[in-house]
Amino acid sequence: MVLIQHTWQFFLSHSHQVVKATLQQLYLVGIPMGLAVIVAIPLTILSTRVKALYGPVIWFANAMQTIPSLALLALMIAMGMGIGTVPAVVALFLYALMPIVRNTYVGIQGVDEGVKDAARGMGVTTWQLLLIVELPLALRVIIAGVRSALVATVGFATLAALIGAGGLGNLIMEGMGMASNSIVLAGTIPAIILAFLADGVMGRVEKALTPRGLRV
Amino acid sequence: MAGSLLKFENVGKVYPDGTRAVSQFTLDIHQGEFVVLIGPSGCGKTTTLRMVNRLIEPSSGTILLDGQDFRQVRPVELRRRLGYVIQRIGLMPHLSIADNITFVPKLKKVSQKARRSRAYELLELVGLEPSAYMDRYPNELSGGQQQRIGVLRALAHDPDIILMDEPFGALDPLMREQLQEEVKRLQRAVSKTIIFVTHDMDEALTMADRIVLMREGEIVQVGTPEEMLRRPKDAFVTQFIGRHRMLRQASEVTVDEVMLTHPVTVPADLGLARSLDAMRRRRVDSLLVVQRDGSFCGVVRLPLVQDAMNLGRECGVGELAETCKTLCPQDLVLEAMHIMLEGQPSGVPVVDESAHVVGLVTRGTLVGLLGDALKRAHEAESPSTETADQWA
Ligand SMILES: Nc1ncnc2c1ncn2[C@@H]1O[C@H](COP(=O)(O)OP(=O)(O)OP(=O)(O)O)[C@@H](O)[C@H]1O
Ligand SMILES: [Mg+2]
Repeated sequence: MVLIQHTWQFFLSHSHQVVKATLQQLYLVGIPMGLAVIVAIPLTILSTRVKALYGPVIWFANAMQTIPSLALLALMIAMGMGIGTVPAVVALFLYALMPIVRNTYVGIQGVDEGVKDAARGMGVTTWQLLLIVELPLALRVIIAGVRSALVATVGFATLAALIGAGGLGNLIMEGMGMASNSIVLAGTIPAIILAFLADGVMGRVEKALTPRGLRV
Repeated sequence: MAGSLLKFENVGKVYPDGTRAVSQFTLDIHQGEFVVLIGPSGCGKTTTLRMVNRLIEPSSGTILLDGQDFRQVRPVELRRRLGYVIQRIGLMPHLSIADNITFVPKLKKVSQKARRSRAYELLELVGLEPSAYMDRYPNELSGGQQQRIGVLRALAHDPDIILMDEPFGALDPLMREQLQEEVKRLQRAVSKTIIFVTHDMDEALTMADRIVLMREGEIVQVGTPEEMLRRPKDAFVTQFIGRHRMLRQASEVTVDEVMLTHPVTVPADLGLARSLDAMRRRRVDSLLVVQRDGSFCGVVRLPLVQDAMNLGRECGVGELAETCKTLCPQDLVLEAMHIMLEGQPSGVPVVDESAHVVGLVTRGTLVGLLGDALKRAHEAESPSTETADQWA
């Protein structure tokens, strides 16, 4: 009870700091996710056409996710990017690639061969096949990939404070340094809310983008 | 229009892996014709069909469409001028029925309004209530209904030629028959040229104006269903036409095509009482007696067994067996008739090279053969009146 009160007081007295950390957090999630979507989806689509490309792409994405997240952050520093927001964004971006690549590929490859054959036989161009057949049918799976990438990124982003990128992780570390549970909670609660929010929103998006004919 | 609508000239296809799927395929198809490609699995039917819309490029020869080399038309353009129906149906699950039917018009940028009225018109044509179906989705339809939509989709842009690859292969027999009738009716109503792939001879005989029978990538015989039935070119054709063979003269039918394949046989050392019992249970008046090794040794007739029983004889049924004339599976049925007319009326056993019994020809078999032949002949002579009624 006391703890909640203290946390609340901290929120009130340091609202500016909490809001700033949250905004940083959003930045740390939004930018790498945006980049990952922009890079991974087209690249993977390309590798469904140029099959030789898929091997290296999925290998790389896989490797990035296999490296323990903390090690990935440390690697950024070791590679000479120093500390701060940029290396954190790069690390988070690399980390988010894998679910998006995997789901985009599986989604597009999973489009029924009969449907594609019929479409080709009716005279769709290569672009039309992608835009009006494959992507709409793969969309749900692709969104699910983005969703799991997002949830992972929100979690990982709190670690970015370790290399000086700020964000809610900063508050948590500060609280731990000062042995103040209320400050730790002031960082943790928004982080948790963000994670649930992200998942919930993506769930909605997934539903909204599923064509009626594909709903069960 | 003079000449042919679609002309294959020495068309061949060798796949990159060296498979020679089609070779020397030459055929003229006329406006309004219903041509069925048929043949055993892997004989190149699908390959031939897909070369027409250039989903597969021929490795040799040319196809002329309306007298023009089809390679002068871009594949995408070409396909939008043809209709295409496949066994897997391939409706777009994310599009409404109306949008599925008018998929090609949409590619051709026909207005939404015109497309809807076209879909409406086509649904009415096959007796599906347009207002109930237009805005549904493929997963809300049965397989048969889906393939109906698949056929309508191939008609929506009014193509001259429609390609169909085993369109009804995945449907149950009832549905299949309905759709066969419907397609035939549609074809007459809109006078389309249809190239239809199947490996079901029944389907080919009902639907085709002309049947093209293929084997290992080559045409074996081309002809109307009537010609195929009456004058099969060789044994392969005969065999492929299968149970429709009865139209042939009895002089050409071989024993193995008509014989009973599981005649009652008993071992030679079977006791008399048990033999009698076997006859009673199977309701036969004679038994084929075989040695332990299965080779044929003769026929035993009911009166003989009864007499021996009355005399109190104790022996195996083999001792009462009488030799008789036998046939080989490849002998003509005519032969069987001769034997039966010349004093062996109850039947003629059929034995293979190693003297094992493989069948039996009886009077019943021959009567059945005759009946079938008469029925087929009758059907073949009056198809026009039948169909006229149907489509009236
Ligand atoms: N893409 C391919 N690459 C190599 N060989 C192929 C390819 N497609 C088909 N073939 C081979 O070409 C031959 C003809 O195939 P096709 O599909 O035309 O036969 P089909 O008559 O349609 O058979 P089915 O009745 O089983 O559908 C077969 O031997 C097949 O294995
Ligand atoms: Mg085939």
